[in-house]
Amino acid sequence: MKKLLFFLLILSAVKVTSQNKQVLFNFAELPQSLLLNPGAETNYKFHFGVPLLSAVSMEFGSSGAVLTDVFALDNRNINDKISTILNRLTTKDFVKFNSQIEIISGGFRLDSKTYISFGVYDEIDAIGYFPKDVFTLADEGNNAHLNKSFNASQIRYKLDVLGVIHAGVSRKINDQLTLGGRFKIYSSALNMESSNNTGTFTTIQGTDNIYRHHLSNVNITARTSGLFQNKEVIEDPNTYLDNTFFGDNLGMGFDFGVTYHISPQLEFSGSILDLGFVNHTKNIKNATAKGSFIFDGINFEYDRDNPINYWGELDALFKEQLPTEKNEESYISWRPTKLNAALKYRFGERRSEICYDNTYKDVYTDALGVQLYSVFRPLSPQFALTAFYQKLLTNKIHTKVTYTVDDLSYANIGAGFSAQFGKVNLYGMLDNILEYRNLSSANSLSLQLGINVIFN
Amino acid sequence: MKSINRISIILCLFILTSCYESLDFRQLDDVVFKPVFTSSLIHFTVVPSQFFDSAGIQQNSISDITDIDGLQSWFNEEFLVKIDVNAEVINELDRGVTFTVELLNSDSDVVYTFTPIVIEAEDLNYSYLEEVEIASNRGVLNSTKVRITAALENTGTPLDINDTRMFVFESSVTFYIESSF
Repeated sequence: MKKLLFFLLILSAVKVTSQNKQVLFNFAELPQSLLLNPGAETNYKFHFGVPLLSAVSMEFGSSGAVLTDVFALDNRNINDKISTILNRLTTKDFVKFNSQIEIISGGFRLDSKTYISFGVYDEIDAIGYFPKDVFTLADEGNNAHLNKSFNASQIRYKLDVLGVIHAGVSRKINDQLTLGGRFKIYSSALNMESSNNTGTFTTIQGTDNIYRHHLSNVNITARTSGLFQNKEVIEDPNTYLDNTFFGDNLGMGFDFGVTYHISPQLEFSGSILDLGFVNHTKNIKNATAKGSFIFDGINFEYDRDNPINYWGELDALFKEQLPTEKNEESYISWRPTKLNAALKYRFGERRSEICYDNTYKDVYTDALGVQLYSVFRPLSPQFALTAFYQKLLTNKIHTKVTYTVDDLSYANIGAGFSAQFGKVNLYGMLDNILEYRNLSSANSLSLQLGINVIFN
Repeated sequence: MKSINRISIILCLFILTSCYESLDFRQLDDVVFKPVFTSSLIHFTVVPSQFFDSAGIQQNSISDITDIDGLQSWFNEEFLVKIDVNAEVINELDRGVTFTVELLNSDSDVVYTFTPIVIEAEDLNYSYLEEVEIASNRGVLNSTKVRITAALENTGTPLDINDTRMFVFESSVTFYIESSF
């Protein structure tokens, strides 16, 4: 139980976010880049991904602390180390985790201008900001913090485990413009979220008693879906897995994308992803607390003729003024919408590349550009700015190097490659390469890799 | 082909040269959380007329009692190591007052009696602190009620029922928690 509580505390400080895949975005006309920009250009007849291996991606990030801060062999007391970290972290710090595994994927060319793609993937996506006041209260109590208001608004987290079934179309409008859209059906296996909370707990010197405790403007809501069934926690992992495919809690969403050639060498591309929601209707358990309460202690009246049930009255007053409730009301959970925008300039040696219809098109061996990524989060939107360099080593081997500035790092260097061996395409990307010098002190790591079969 | 070989060599070098600092997760065994929570407890103001019954006869002591929830929880059973009870008393009366604070279980049996709080006459600034180690007073965790009895010093002079002087009792309780993995 203690370990579960610790895990929940850590989880509450964790934010799981959708992953910024800056290396994969608009890279090498990979089928998976269509998931980041449905308006991306393609140059093949059809493709399919190797089931479970076509796209595996993982990302972990922590903005305020790393493993070595706590677990390094440095002869320091771990309690001192934890205390130092708690003092250093702010309410804007977070930990995040994201994982996506493509179950199946495929696509085919409908006509010379239209490419259809589809697939199914499972995703774990979570985010939790550091609720400093909650940790301080749990770690130190209120005794040493008279007059301090412990703020419940710092409680912000969201965890999603879901499956996504999607189909999209990419259509070349003319030589300059390609547009795309994707329709998604979300099947949520697990959702836990709490945000937009208010309320403070304050202990001050009292007038009627030694202390007075204020619970002010409390409005806290914690929602769960898919965690409980018949009032019992679902412990069977298979149940969660089953619910990722047309489970009880479904939603829908859209992606839109565009690629526009400003000139033969200059290209703009952009996308908006996961513009959608999940409607949670089954296996729901929510908890709410709303109101204000002032507590001075129990006031004995020494009225022998009219004995008073002090505790009963206190309990009733508390429930009246700060009612807590558990309910099974359905709710809507918005997907974290992402925005991508990129400007790419091609240069270098011009080569001819064979197209799916046996025609040839000119390509440049080098490209430079910038990308902007943004995701809407419970606290505020997060941004990442990336500069990149792409190099076509041969017609079959593409490489890309990125430099990203985001919440986690000002020196995030990433690299990726895509190689074609006959019909088989193999790609892999790593982010935050400098952190690999010491994985234990990495505050951000991500990778994407996959195998496709592509028919030109 | 040359490029593929080059990439393979670079990737292998990269993977082989990535490293990590040794970590000791067993340090978790040494983690101890020691929060200290303070709460208001019981307070009251008593005037001499409250020592007279409905027949107008003076009583030497009065008692009041309240239920308390929570001390019996599993959390306290496992993690509560000490409680402090603090009281501050103002006695304006012309005689001493003794307060007895008792913890009772659900059968109303006394499971713990605090050291009596003895206040001299007209003592306007009395502070009291009693520390209770749970390890040697496990019975405290069975408490479901608190009773406070106020007993007047017998001076031989009866109280004046119309006297407006009073005594004021304020108290708080501090819980010392220790939890580890």
